[in-house]
Amino acid sequence: MSTLLRRPSDGGQFEARGRFERFNLEENPFPSDPFVNKDSTDKRVNGEIYEVEIRRPEYEKIEENFLRHPQADLNHIRLGYLVDTSFVGRGNGKSAFLVNLQQNINKEYCLDISDGHNKCFALLVTPEAGGRTKTFPSFVDQMFDAILRLRIIDECLAILRLEAITKLYPRTDLTEDLKNEKSLRERLRSPEWFWERDFDLSAISETVASNEFLQAVPPTFPVLRGRPSLIKPFETEGDFANYYVQDLKKGKERYDFLFSHLVRFFQAAGFNGAYVLVDDFERIPDFQSARQKRDFALELRSCLFDGTFTNAKIGFYNMILVLHAGVQRLIEEAWALSGMENRAPISPRVDSSHVIAFEKLSENHASLLLKKYLSEYRIAPVGSDPLSPFTNDAVRLIGEMSEYNASKILKTAYELLEKAASLENQAIIDRDFVLANKGGIEITTEIARDNKETEPEDLMKKARKAED
Amino acid sequence: MSIMRIIKPAFTLLEYFYVLLKSVERSAERRDVFELFKVLKHQYGLGESKYKTVTRDRKELTSAQENRYLYTFDRVIDEAREYGLLKETRESLILTPAGVKIIRDFDNQDFDKFHQQLFSLMEKKGAVFRNLIASIYNVQSHPPGLLIFPIYSPRLLNFERAEIKKTSHLIDYSWALVKKLEADLMKHLNFDRQLKKRNDELLVNLTRAGFLSEDPSMPFDPKKYNAINKRIRDYWINYFLRDIYGYSSSWSAFERWVYRGKQIGILHATEFLPHFHGKIVYPTSVVIEKTLSSDFREIYAYRDGMKLFVHRPSWDRIQNKFVKSLVDGYFDLRRSNQSYFISLTSLRELVCFKLKISERLFESYLERAYRLNLANRLAVRISLEVDKLPEETKAAYLTREPVMVDGRHRNIIAIDVTKGVNR
Repeated sequence: MSTLLRRPSDGGQFEARGRFERFNLEENPFPSDPFVNKDSTDKRVNGEIYEVEIRRPEYEKIEENFLRHPQADLNHIRLGYLVDTSFVGRGNGKSAFLVNLQQNINKEYCLDISDGHNKCFALLVTPEAGGRTKTFPSFVDQMFDAILRLRIIDECLAILRLEAITKLYPRTDLTEDLKNEKSLRERLRSPEWFWERDFDLSAISETVASNEFLQAVPPTFPVLRGRPSLIKPFETEGDFANYYVQDLKKGKERYDFLFSHLVRFFQAAGFNGAYVLVDDFERIPDFQSARQKRDFALELRSCLFDGTFTNAKIGFYNMILVLHAGVQRLIEEAWALSGMENRAPISPRVDSSHVIAFEKLSENHASLLLKKYLSEYRIAPVGSDPLSPFTNDAVRLIGEMSEYNASKILKTAYELLEKAASLENQAIIDRDFVLANKGGIEITTEIARDNKETEPEDLMKKARKAED
Repeated sequence: MSIMRIIKPAFTLLEYFYVLLKSVERSAERRDVFELFKVLKHQYGLGESKYKTVTRDRKELTSAQENRYLYTFDRVIDEAREYGLLKETRESLILTPAGVKIIRDFDNQDFDKFHQQLFSLMEKKGAVFRNLIASIYNVQSHPPGLLIFPIYSPRLLNFERAEIKKTSHLIDYSWALVKKLEADLMKHLNFDRQLKKRNDELLVNLTRAGFLSEDPSMPFDPKKYNAINKRIRDYWINYFLRDIYGYSSSWSAFERWVYRGKQIGILHATEFLPHFHGKIVYPTSVVIEKTLSSDFREIYAYRDGMKLFVHRPSWDRIQNKFVKSLVDGYFDLRRSNQSYFISLTSLRELVCFKLKISERLFESYLERAYRLNLANRLAVRISLEVDKLPEETKAAYLTREPVMVDGRHRNIIAIDVTKGVNR
């Protein structure tokens, strides 16, 4: 048979079933590459398996200082930082934390968390690697991209149309439709449904366009531009995307759109704020020159605090920049020069509510983390020993070896479990097993930090001395 | 001391030899060689200073610049001829086999070989480096093998520019400086010298030259402020060079040889050693008959049986010490710095000084330590980042060469020792 037509014998994904059965596991629950990819379908890496308890202190601080604070109070925090203090580089669980924080906020648009004070959505913005998101305009593009990904514009259009229907057709009974919000959302996105129900789309569009918040946006704005024509277009999120890409120039026009016009649009749909979670913020200053850093900080300040934008006036977007340790130094000069340091100090002298420390994990956390992953892949429920096949001692050692860095803990657990599965008689993973399978050599060195100052080398003495 | 009499070099950077030879390789005619030389000189950032230039943009040369370039060009030819790297007939320049080899080494990025070759040729002509290194070890310094040239600006001694208006202010500064110099002499060289007479002499010189007024209460010409400071600095540097260390050469010739030694890796000179104000020079090599220590590598044998050994411990032998110095230096510098990250070039100075190794060796060992760290095989965590590249600053010269690790320029470092180390 021709190689053109031949296919591999295993059609789909091959899963070595049964290898982990003796550990009461469907498969290896740990990710081999433990970095969050929120677009992945594998729950091991998309942030879905998440142990809330581990990051409870951080979450509570964000809830108290950001999410529960009424947006209506103009003094709410508009820019905060989530700073990694563990100082062991990436993989400490920040991205997983953010994915879950975003889901928590968006579940009921923060209404549940804030006792009805705030109706806010959360965006997750991840600057592109390799320096592609180096300038503020490209950062704004990323933000808009996050808005599109969330489909929040579609949601707002649905809300506005639904409100228009209730206003124009007060006698129409929507009780049945409202029972299933998901399908109602879909229907509100389709003009056919309006025709079927005999709703006048033109009148609905006009009612939407006459919303008080939309009176300050330019007539070219998507929901307004069809106003003068006889046949009103049925605007969708795609029209917003096209408008942004094709009609608006980079820079001022797009800033106005994102920080003024869209803010009005979101307000029209009943939102009073949004949380912009910027993951891996260091990817921006890492590639910036000093001037670019300062310009970026100035633009950010203008859009968030004191520019002519609607957002600067009301503080609609609340940004949380996620920084790994050491980023402060990269941007502190730019922050000082641009005046950002006065608005939202990045190295505050006192404990400030806008800076949330992302602490290093502890021994207990390591055990919680492993339990959570294991529980997701159990064949039969376990009783008293949720950590099996790992022993407590082994988990402690894994934690120490991994410097209590979440991704390293998961990676080590993955490798140890793989190793144990390959050995026929290995039923448990204990301290000895971990020690025996510890990879690489470690330089333990005598770098014990005594206070003794090392004397500078005396080369002549050394050269004359007999070989040591 | 009769060192550095053989050739008074007109330039410091050894890459000038490559630039010249490469130009000769492309053309033999002197005029054409000069044109190519100018292009390559720019390309490699070679200026007249001991530091490389940062901007590589080519501008139209003024006639004064053209003449200066031509002067440098002629001097490079003189020295290259002296070392047998090229021959000159009437109007053409011809490469010798030694010259061709030098080009190949450089083109193949074997800079150690390139420097080693040049070093051997220079040393054959007069053993300048041998004499220089031996003379440094003759100074009874603490630690041994060290020359210091302290420099304290008025500002460092708490004399603010805005308050220095009268002659008496500068006189006060000069006496405060004398105190510091006497203290440094005592601390580093164990010399109990009274510099009063010398300072009197300096003040008389400055007055005679019209820099200071006879009447201390009179103001001095503010336009001459920088010139006066330079005079004071040069006076004391020359005092250290000639009177303390006994060199007869000029400061510029001394500095050029020292910085050439630094490029070769047998000497280190810096103005940026933390906690010290001024320049220091120390060898990273020794001249002795033999050594049993495997941390040294012989790079030159003299006729009288003496040899020059460069201090180049293998990674296996130095790794613990290297990491410890790195960590010690990091915490030393962290004391004056709030943030996790500190300047990598300052840390490099401390480590090179402590271990007496060259900057090149530091770079290569830092890379090894960093790779071990990435592989999670190091007891400490090292983070190397870039905050500002030289070309992003306003500086015209690369006063401190950036450190290249893992294919990227790095200039800040942070170390975490929370694991396995008692702090």
